[in-house]
Amino acid sequence: MTKALSVWLSLALLGPFITFSQEDAEKRDSLKGAKTNNIILFGRIIDDKTKAPLPGATIHIKGTTHEVSADDKGNFKFVTGQKIPSVFLVTYVGYQPREITINQAENIVITLHENNSQLNDVVVVGYGTQSRKNLISSITKVNAAEVKEIPVAGVDAQLQGKASGVQINSNTGVPGDGVFIRVRGATSINASNDPLYVIDGVFVNNTSLQTVSTGGRSTSPIADINPADIESIEVLKDANATAIYGARGANGVVIITTRRGNYNAAPRVNFKASTGWGKAPELWKLTSGPEHAEIVNEFYANSYQDAVAANDAAGMAKYRHLPFRALTDNPTATPAPRGLPEAQATYDRLHKLFRTARLQEYDLSLQGGSKTTKYYLGAGYTSQEAIIRPVDFDRASFKLNLDQKVNEKVQVGVSNSLYRSFRNQARAGDGPQGGLLQSALHTATYLPEVNADGTPARWAGFDNLDVLINNYDVNTISLRYIGNLYADADILPDLKFRTSWSLDYNHYNESEYWNNLTQLGASPTNGLATSIQTQNTTWINENTLQYRTNFFGGHGLGILVGNSIQSNSLRTDSLSGSGFPNNSFTSIASAATRSSSQKFTKGNLVSFFSRVDYNYSGKYFLEFSIRADGSSRFGKNNQFGYFPSVGAAWRIREENFLKEVNWLSDLKLRASVGLTGNQNGINNFAALGLWSGGAGYPDNTGGTDQPGTAPQQLGNADLKWEKTRQANIGADIGFLNGALTVEVNFYSKYTTDALLQLPIQAISGFNSYSTNMGEISNKGYEVSVFSHNIRRKDFSWTTSFNISGNVNKIEKLPTPVNYYNRDWVRLQEGHSLYSFWLYKQQYVDPQTGAAVFEDVTKDGAITVADRQILGSAIPAFFGGITNNLRYRQFDLGISFTYQYGNKIFNLNRFFGEGGGTRDGNRVILASQLSRWQKPGDITDVPRVTAYGNNYTLEQNSRFLEDGSFIKLNALTVGYSIPQRIVSKAHIQHVRLYFIGSNLLWIKKYTGPDPESNVTGSQNVQGLDLGTPPQPRVIQFGINVTL
Amino acid sequence: MNIVKYIVLVLAVVSLVSCKKFLDVEPVDSVTDDQTIVDKTSAETATRGLYRALAGDGYYGLTFQAIGYLSGDNVQWTGSQSIVQQFITHNVRADNAYIASAWGAIYATINRANHIIAKVPEVTDPLFTQNLKNQLTGEAYFVRALAYFDLARTWGGVQLALTPTNSASDKNGIERSSPAETYAQVLSDLTTAEQLLPETTNRYRATRKTVWALRARFHLYQSEWALAETYASRLLGDAANYQLVKPYSAFFANNVVATPESIFELSYSATYTSGHRNQWQPPANNGTRQWAPNDTFIALVNDASIGGNRNAMVAKTSQGLWYGNLYYRSPATDPAYILRIAEQYLIRAEARAQQKKLTEALSDLNAVRSRAGLTASTAATQEEILLAIENERRIEFALEPHRWFDLVRTKRADDVLGVTDTNKWVLPFPASEVLIDKSLEQNFGY
Repeated sequence: MTKALSVWLSLALLGPFITFSQEDAEKRDSLKGAKTNNIILFGRIIDDKTKAPLPGATIHIKGTTHEVSADDKGNFKFVTGQKIPSVFLVTYVGYQPREITINQAENIVITLHENNSQLNDVVVVGYGTQSRKNLISSITKVNAAEVKEIPVAGVDAQLQGKASGVQINSNTGVPGDGVFIRVRGATSINASNDPLYVIDGVFVNNTSLQTVSTGGRSTSPIADINPADIESIEVLKDANATAIYGARGANGVVIITTRRGNYNAAPRVNFKASTGWGKAPELWKLTSGPEHAEIVNEFYANSYQDAVAANDAAGMAKYRHLPFRALTDNPTATPAPRGLPEAQATYDRLHKLFRTARLQEYDLSLQGGSKTTKYYLGAGYTSQEAIIRPVDFDRASFKLNLDQKVNEKVQVGVSNSLYRSFRNQARAGDGPQGGLLQSALHTATYLPEVNADGTPARWAGFDNLDVLINNYDVNTISLRYIGNLYADADILPDLKFRTSWSLDYNHYNESEYWNNLTQLGASPTNGLATSIQTQNTTWINENTLQYRTNFFGGHGLGILVGNSIQSNSLRTDSLSGSGFPNNSFTSIASAATRSSSQKFTKGNLVSFFSRVDYNYSGKYFLEFSIRADGSSRFGKNNQFGYFPSVGAAWRIREENFLKEVNWLSDLKLRASVGLTGNQNGINNFAALGLWSGGAGYPDNTGGTDQPGTAPQQLGNADLKWEKTRQANIGADIGFLNGALTVEVNFYSKYTTDALLQLPIQAISGFNSYSTNMGEISNKGYEVSVFSHNIRRKDFSWTTSFNISGNVNKIEKLPTPVNYYNRDWVRLQEGHSLYSFWLYKQQYVDPQTGAAVFEDVTKDGAITVADRQILGSAIPAFFGGITNNLRYRQFDLGISFTYQYGNKIFNLNRFFGEGGGTRDGNRVILASQLSRWQKPGDITDVPRVTAYGNNYTLEQNSRFLEDGSFIKLNALTVGYSIPQRIVSKAHIQHVRLYFIGSNLLWIKKYTGPDPESNVTGSQNVQGLDLGTPPQPRVIQFGINVTL
Repeated sequence: MNIVKYIVLVLAVVSLVSCKKFLDVEPVDSVTDDQTIVDKTSAETATRGLYRALAGDGYYGLTFQAIGYLSGDNVQWTGSQSIVQQFITHNVRADNAYIASAWGAIYATINRANHIIAKVPEVTDPLFTQNLKNQLTGEAYFVRALAYFDLARTWGGVQLALTPTNSASDKNGIERSSPAETYAQVLSDLTTAEQLLPETTNRYRATRKTVWALRARFHLYQSEWALAETYASRLLGDAANYQLVKPYSAFFANNVVATPESIFELSYSATYTSGHRNQWQPPANNGTRQWAPNDTFIALVNDASIGGNRNAMVAKTSQGLWYGNLYYRSPATDPAYILRIAEQYLIRAEARAQQKKLTEALSDLNAVRSRAGLTASTAATQEEILLAIENERRIEFALEPHRWFDLVRTKRADDVLGVTDTNKWVLPFPASEVLIDKSLEQNFGY
């Protein structure tokens, strides 16, 4: 690793020297030229509207290798042996390139037109780029500048609502935590549903390396990446775009391109600083101590009544005495008296846990380039506190991108990123021990925080909150290097060769220390520590040949062939110790009992791919691609998979019959069909039948463990890729010279041979085995609209809007599969993923207060057979709307995201609306107060009792809620200090801004955050239990360009 | 640029040639299943793995035992998982996660036993003596007998899986056997084990004596009183190796393991911990107190004339909460007690009482009472003695899985526990199994 790094760094550092020598050579050339009979051409390059000079614009004389660039006043000077008239090719970033014939030598004024239309956007596709107008695929390009200030840690979370067809939910308010992303629905049950991430050509790991428990959730490896370094983000959605990524393309591909310098550009320093504060938008409403006592008393009284009615002697004995009675009332009876309800105190733990979080970010970058070298240097630091103590996240990053022209034909370059993410993690989800939210939220409010003797009190198996907050010691450091080294060579004028070598290395260091005040470390454990080192290494080599030509006037042909080999290994070394002398000793070396463990796994991938595209006069487009992937993961009989796709487009706008239609600036129809695969998320050795060690047992009485072995999994030599067939039709329509553009897509995805951990009969000795079984379909639409409402010199206003809907269905699944404790979630043929499996509470009988459940089988009893699928966490539609306005020096961005029709199961209510059955073991939420009390009460909260189904049937549909929402994702207000002021200080640009996130949140859900989810388990979504909500954040910043 | 062309060519060729090899990645943490039981060492490790399965969380490490003691009348539910309550109120639903986990764990144990039974006799290894082969195979037969015995007393007749599973379809289409057939399989395995195993004392592993102890229990369940008496007597006559330790707590307190009380117990270590303590111990001792002794039992065990010194199995927190204290160690290395000599006394007492050998029966009963620090029983008639034995067993094995199975086997579950619906005397098969396995028909009434 260090060796690889040093080689790359030295290459990177050598770059500038090569540059200088090149420039010297250039100077010598021009001096020589002056002595011969060359002519001198000079002039200016300016913006056609503003007449502002365009420093760095380049001029290339056609048919020669000669090129110059404009100085900082836009002036250029040429010494050339060419004769006028000659043809200039003038290019400048963000402007339409121009080819003009020059008839004069002096005072040439060249005007360039700024690119307004998206049509001329360059879109990054797999192994190349394309102009948007030539695109057949369905690809969403996200404006990185628009999202990078949104105050969340990872770029994945920033994309919410920005890309059609991409559903994104931040499941918790913990910064840097995993994000739920589905591109055009979920296609798999046991393989991953996350898109493939490609950063500067590197396939980066997006599977969390976390091994310590944080209550079900895990960190996002994408949060390692500094969004400030990102130039553009493309989401590849249809098969035509993704099939070139073959076995990993089925869930869509997110291509991230980081910033690079420009040739012939003056050095530019950019500095950004921001600071902000976050707070929970709302918290749970709990009962007070007296209210809690009242409910529990009512529960006892009702249960006693019911016990009498049922003639249940044990019940009568159990419920005879109310627990909250005067201390003198039957003091020896069970339960012991706790004082009258009104005598109970109320302890507010929630507000101890939640805080105003502080956020800060600093980014510094330098970019520029000479004629032969371009560079980008970036450094950043971000620190984000969570709104719950003591959780926080910070990230430091360093980036160096460098490109060097070795000569006219060869260019080499590197991308280097080094990240260090530090997390102070805590259990903010399920699990009693060490669970922050459970301790703060689920502890009954009447229970005191300290015992009579002054020691911290622990209740119901939860830790004491103060102890947790002050003694939490769970830290993770992720050190990550993502780098790429490439060489491009023009073998022939039309034939380019590229080789690229990439590395994604992540060292993930976790440590936990539970001192003897916490439950996990309490006596008799006496301190519990773990230290886990995980190393994830992926190296990739890719080689491509690209040929592009035009022939017979109007025919364009491009051919790409390439191969790729990749190897990924994951190694985990863990240590743990318990029995520490005291809390001052935290090193595992001091522990009395120590143990260690190790894991290693590896997977290799070999691929060959090709793409051929053809177009005729920019009207008719045809593209064909295929990839063959061989993976070590699959059964010996099925190691190779083949993934073809074909796409076509017709740009009707170019047809003669539309020539006269001026209001229509673009009209293109697109269609594609193809096959992509999925292999991510399953075990590297899933196809093999395995026995493992680690099943030791003694041989003799009193003996110690001797090594043992046991069957681990059943093999399946036929295990193969999961295949997703996708068809897409779409249209791109532009009106009024691109002022209004509309993109519409309809798609249908059908997944077969789904990788499935199929349950088998337990009498086999196994619970499940890996196989290809099951079919899943996703059908949906996407509409995005972009409108330049007003475009004037002083005032501009743009609106972008997108809406997408996806219908997911499990078409074939041999047996239903249940997920999570109590089987809340069930996958079943004919229903969608993330479906909830519940007993349907129809109403509460106003006469008796009994909950009435739907008796599906009509057998007069509520049994498992009456449990049914009632809704899913998948929304009917979702999207976003963004308005950007600019008036003189001011800019304003308003960005909403929305989601409609998704269900969320409120597990906090499940525990907190237990009707007193859990007594002092759980908090009672304020919503319990609306329970049925007397005949005639209309409510859906049944009478509190231990008898009947009211509170004993756990999977009650009453807790299933509507998770639809609209939220003001980001409100940005910026002010750029006028040029005439800043230029006096030799500053190019200064912008002051404010950004508010989640300022407005319209929802029906009774919990604080309808996007919450307690687990990172991929088949469970919309299960809300004790995760902190996403914060409401306000942030102020400054952006300075020198 | 010719050089580039050559590079491309070489790369392409190299990658094509080495492709097959590159895709051949072997695991490091595990071995493939064709190289498992091939010599003496691997046969020994596989047998240890069998015991580890028996001691696993789903079986004696927690769930199966918990089903046994929760279903009696000594334990109440005090935690968050209300499925626990289903056992206490005898209203177990087929989707109860505990039964699925116990069911799976027991059959996983059986599969490990089947591997040993099928493969060990076939191993050719000069270092592997026939005696050792017999011992290992005999141990596998014993564990399989215990597993089917536990299945039969919990669920009634079950499916018999008697061969190792090598592929996913291996166990398709196995119909369930009747309770009699299942018990016949238990007896057959016990008989084979008895022949193969040496007559030694090993409290962690099965020997011929362990087989005798289980046979005593087996015949008791079958109401074969004379056989039950015979086999119990074999253990009780071996006082050099097996005796009641005094006081009661001496078989578990102070971190002791493998006392002379124990005929067969499962061993745990810091690496392989037992799941019991976490459920029983209160938060103050770093547990969850998911369940606890109920008020009735606390009253009984604290009654000096009933519990005697057996009240050492319960304790009280500073907040006044009672908790079970049989499993208390940290790390959780509490043994799982499967066969104790006290049980053999009570088995023989019951078998003798049934055969009207009342004096001998009382003598066995009083041996257990005396160890608990109690006076001799005042029971006189056969009926009184049988009831006294039933009540003695309730206290003696309060936190071990006996009470429920005892009341079901003596058909007293309705009189004592009020479970009038005899369909509920066996548990439902896991709902998920009935769904997956078309050959498995649900127990009647579920």
